[in-house]
Amino acid sequence: MSETAEKAVQDFRRRDARDKLLGRTRYTIDRGAAGMLHAALLRSDVPSGRIARLDVSAAARMPGVRAVVTHEDAPGRAGLGIADHPLFATDVVRYCGEPIAAVAAESEAEARAALAAITVDIEPLPAVLDMGASLAEDAPLVHPGWQGYEVLTQGGARGGNVAWEASVDRGDVDAAFARSDVTVVESSFRVGRQNHLSLEPRAVVANYEDGRYHIETSTQVPWTVRNTTATLLGVPASAIRVTVPPVGGGFGLKFDCALEPFAALLARKSGRTVRLVNSREEEMLTCLFRENAEIRIRSAVAPDGSIAGREAVVLMDCGAYGGEQVFLTTMTAHTLGGNYRLGAVRIVSRAVYTNTAPNGAFRACNGVYNTFALERHTDEIAAAIGMAPEAFRFKNVIGDGDLGATGQVFEGDVLAPMLEKMAALRAKDPSPQLTDGRLSGRATTVGTWFVFTGPSAATVNMNADGSATLVTSGVEIGSGSMMQALPQIVAATLGLTPDKVVVRAADTDAAGYDVGVGGGRTTVSLGAASRTAAIEVRTKLLKVASDMLEAAAEDLVIADGRIEIAGAKGSGATIAEVASHGQMRFGPLSGTGSFAAAGTPAMAGCCAGHFIEALDIPVFAVHDCDVAVDPLTGHVEVLAYRVVQDVGRALNPSAIFGQIQGGVVQGLGYALHEEADVGPDGHIRQKSFETYRVPLAGDVVPVAIELHEGAPSIGPLGTKGAGEVPILNVGATVACAVANATGKTVSELPLTPPRVLALLIDEAQAPVFPHIRDRHADNLTAPGR
Amino acid sequence: MRPETPPEILLPATLGEALASLGERAAAPLAGGTWVMRAPLRREPFAPAYVGLSRIPELSLVEVTDDAIAIGAAVTHADLANALAGFPEFAGLRLAAGSSANPAVRSAATVGGNLCTADFAAADLVPALLCLDATVELAGPAGSRLIPLADFLAQRTGLLPGHILTKVVVARTGQRTAHARLPLRKAGDYPVAIVSVAMRVDAMERIGAARIAVGSVEATARRWTGLEDALLGEPLDGARTTGIAGSLLASFNGRDGVEAPGWYRVRVLPALAGRAVASLVAA
Amino acid sequence: MTIRLTVNGETREFAAAPMTPLVDVLRDGLHLTGAKPVCREGFCGACMVLVDAVPTVACLTPVALVEGRDIETVEGLTSGESPTPVQAALEEHDAVQCGMCFPGMVVALTHLTTSGTCEPNRAAVKEALVGNVCRCTGYERIVDAALAVMEAGHE
Ligand SMILES: Cc1cc2nc3c(=O)[nH]c(=O)nc-3n(C[C@H](O)[C@H](O)[C@H](O)COP(=O)(O)OP(=O)(O)OC[C@H]3O[C@@H](n4cnc5c(N)ncnc54)[C@H](O)[C@@H]3O)c2cc1C
Ligand code: FES
Ligand code: FES
Repeated sequence: MSETAEKAVQDFRRRDARDKLLGRTRYTIDRGAAGMLHAALLRSDVPSGRIARLDVSAAARMPGVRAVVTHEDAPGRAGLGIADHPLFATDVVRYCGEPIAAVAAESEAEARAALAAITVDIEPLPAVLDMGASLAEDAPLVHPGWQGYEVLTQGGARGGNVAWEASVDRGDVDAAFARSDVTVVESSFRVGRQNHLSLEPRAVVANYEDGRYHIETSTQVPWTVRNTTATLLGVPASAIRVTVPPVGGGFGLKFDCALEPFAALLARKSGRTVRLVNSREEEMLTCLFRENAEIRIRSAVAPDGSIAGREAVVLMDCGAYGGEQVFLTTMTAHTLGGNYRLGAVRIVSRAVYTNTAPNGAFRACNGVYNTFALERHTDEIAAAIGMAPEAFRFKNVIGDGDLGATGQVFEGDVLAPMLEKMAALRAKDPSPQLTDGRLSGRATTVGTWFVFTGPSAATVNMNADGSATLVTSGVEIGSGSMMQALPQIVAATLGLTPDKVVVRAADTDAAGYDVGVGGGRTTVSLGAASRTAAIEVRTKLLKVASDMLEAAAEDLVIADGRIEIAGAKGSGATIAEVASHGQMRFGPLSGTGSFAAAGTPAMAGCCAGHFIEALDIPVFAVHDCDVAVDPLTGHVEVLAYRVVQDVGRALNPSAIFGQIQGGVVQGLGYALHEEADVGPDGHIRQKSFETYRVPLAGDVVPVAIELHEGAPSIGPLGTKGAGEVPILNVGATVACAVANATGKTVSELPLTPPRVLALLIDEAQAPVFPHIRDRHADNLTAPGR
Repeated sequence: MRPETPPEILLPATLGEALASLGERAAAPLAGGTWVMRAPLRREPFAPAYVGLSRIPELSLVEVTDDAIAIGAAVTHADLANALAGFPEFAGLRLAAGSSANPAVRSAATVGGNLCTADFAAADLVPALLCLDATVELAGPAGSRLIPLADFLAQRTGLLPGHILTKVVVARTGQRTAHARLPLRKAGDYPVAIVSVAMRVDAMERIGAARIAVGSVEATARRWTGLEDALLGEPLDGARTTGIAGSLLASFNGRDGVEAPGWYRVRVLPALAGRAVASLVAA
Repeated sequence: MTIRLTVNGETREFAAAPMTPLVDVLRDGLHLTGAKPVCREGFCGACMVLVDAVPTVACLTPVALVEGRDIETVEGLTSGESPTPVQAALEEHDAVQCGMCFPGMVVALTHLTTSGTCEPNRAAVKEALVGNVCRCTGYERIVDAALAVMEAGHE
């Protein structure tokens, strides 16, 4: 085993780099062909209204138009937890950008011209554009018929504009706060939306052949696309095949079904291949953003610095449909409720409907802002009780045998040794001294994340030429897991070099079910399934070799492309010879593997409405940074950034370092630049790259990185996901450092220059949430559950 | 989203032909195209036709004499920055041309396009040329005339139809100049505020005469005469300038935008004025 | 109108509306899908090509304005499959993730490392890349690769 693990660790270069550099890679947006139809969507221009009339007959007669579809063509509703989302607006529109009709025509210009010929009369209805309005008494309901929706997962409290509620209640929180010796600290935080801004927009090419749909799409979740498209169209899931070309960036944006059903419908109706690509403006308007959120957190801290009690309310804006947010309410218990030992805790996390574009999943979903809130709150606690923040963290971080918020028992001391590693990393390159009048600040934060385990399948075919083919539904979205970690695992198991392992691009007709690429799960879940499949192949190879070499299988070693009798180098045969022999004798050798969540238990009865009650594989991170703040303009410059990351085992350190650098920079965008919000007309105000500012080369620094290996993990060869977590505590770390530099209370992100300057001149408005009630129980839809 | 009848582009070789085409077709000039090509994103219609300026040789010249420098309207930002390399007195204008936008845009976007886009408040060259007291030459059916830049800015939407801005003329007076711009990132986005200065400095390093222009704060760049007056006789000192400027903001009414609120644009002006003056010390 | 361009060394003649962005002509008309239309407003650089050896955002370039000029796209930088020094260095530095920015990035870096207009230091390279957005990598390896090429060129 351990020998395999060592063999698996390599700086193996990704096979797709060369073509990407030569400009030859063909992403979904590049797959145009002669004879293809081009589709376009008619989208709502108002945030809330009743569709009084929809007439597409004139559009259908426009030149070049081959098909027009509306809600009449797609009867189903889909969703996560609750089926609240139709493909097209039916009687009402619920957000700006909601699709009303779709057209396919010979050219994009003709399709757009046809959109203009659709008659649609929308009578405006009152809209709730933020969570305050949505939770106000007598607020109009975004889904007046919410009680009639099919519930797909039981257990979440719901009601009115609260789409879903997940709550945790462990220990006697009231008693903790009532203690006479505790210091009570309360903080409120607000964050805006973050756009993934993947360079490739959501895009699809669909056709309908022999009674089945073939969807080629830029997605992270081929199986979700398959199943959701089927639900929305009202056809059997087996009628849909999804294949995935190289994906030009995802980050969670493509973790849901998107444009695929429209293209599928149009393909069927027209009998032609249909291409549908979001314009950048559509991408901005209907991005499945990282949600805006509002957080109140209170802690009762004992004189010795231990946290006797904690309570928190987290409101997550799900937009007009529940989508991913319903699921993500789950994460609050593990992120805001994470990092520290808590005597007693109660948390409620609510997904709130508004008349805005639905929010979705984004790298370390939910964790990013909850870690910001938790870590800023932690610094406020340390200040309130007069303890150094580092000392407070050392004392309180979760260690071996400690309970998490949901009562899960954590294994191993991970965060404390990581904090020590961070201190050492910092000592190597101490904070720079500023002499230019700017304010300097530094901070260290900790974070808890997880690997989203869940089902995966893999097949390994051993070819007679000595190569192996790995067939999964995994997608290469850029992180390299499909190009590096997976072939490395299979190769190490089979005694091959990773270049001998061909990885089949995702195809739901070829490989079994997979939850999708995201949540840091590729290396773990697909890796575990691939490893099991490879072990089966290895067993078969050894058996064949044992016949060939007349030696017991236990006496054989498989390595370096050969199978040998132990201790007798040169005695055996090449793997190709063995595979070829096996193929002739028994038929081609192959193996299958599958993986599912381990189902780590929480404490009975302390959580409600959670999709994941305890973390199978927790992942920890410690970040540290130095900032300089310009007191006259509010510009924050990050001078140095340091990461100690828990990776279990690093299979490909170069790939992990690349993920950390990239993830931290995305986090710097969230912390400092990237802001998306909803204007009074219900439209997202940042409509393009002009106003949505992502970090550019000049805004970043090389991240100093130390990997922490050896923490417990059920992942194959001890791995954990490494691509998602690097963004987790960037917002937190920058915010804490800016608070330290300025001496001001930082309660919002991003820290754009105007926001920081407002803080510096004491003109920033502290967040006030009248819709978060003072008494915890008043924030629960079902008090006392 | 292409227009129904795509506009034509004419590429005349002389100014005369260009002016004639403008008149005949209700056409608009097309220089680098970096503003015009984004019309669909702004939901603006294209003009019925465009007259490209790239083949009219005199529009792409930078001519330097002992007393003045004349910049052709079709000179790109990149070419302007290069042409000014040997002239420290134009350090401000050079920085404006060489640090706006990004390299690829700078090698397409022109001086004329920057000055003629009335809806673009964040133009870098406008305040940089305003503090140099530049004059523009406008050619039309009735011939050419010279107009002070400030007057041109005030009236450009009325003046431009049927006309072509042919060049910008700046006198060489040996002043020290600087350009302080404030994008929200290090670079790459529009500046939310700009302060451009041109100053004569006496032997004691005191400010003898100053012209200060502010861009991006209001819809159109303009001079900051209050600060110009207040700095007379002051030493060249950035921090001191910032302090003086702090009490002279009342006349500004900052524009609110998605990227920054109006108050912010005004509030950072003292710091920018200080930076501009500080860079003159070094000069 | 009929437009004649030299694209990757070859003269091509075709009909196109004069205001058509060059990037669409290259992709839809000439099937050169290397350059990517990502923002269509000059901010991201994914559509970058060389026009007479100058990096140009093809999304804002009306095709009529480059009539008769020499266009080089990422596909034209190499003959066959052997990478250019810039491409080789990016591969060597393990810089590629999703890859969408690289056609433009390679064009920008090709100019930057060969034109002598950029000082061989980190700050200068970063300044020169301000019009090329990469959402995946956090840039530093791209800068490392550029510096490696520039240093090798000076040896
Ligand atoms: C990504 C990006 C970033 C940018 N950042 C900045 C920045 O930081 N600072 C800054 O200042 N600018 C910035 N700009 C704006 C840019 O400078 C303008 O788009 C540019 O100046 C317009 O010049 P052009 O030659 O491309 O004009 P065009 O788009 O060709 O024309 C613009 C307008 O001017 C008219 N026009 C052009 N030339 C003449 C003439 N000679 N006579 C009469 N009318 C004429 C045209 O009819 C049109 O109405 C940025 C642009 C982009 C795309
Ligand atoms: S697509 Fe041309 S610069 Fe972004
Ligand atoms: S590698 Fe994905 S955008 Fe650069």
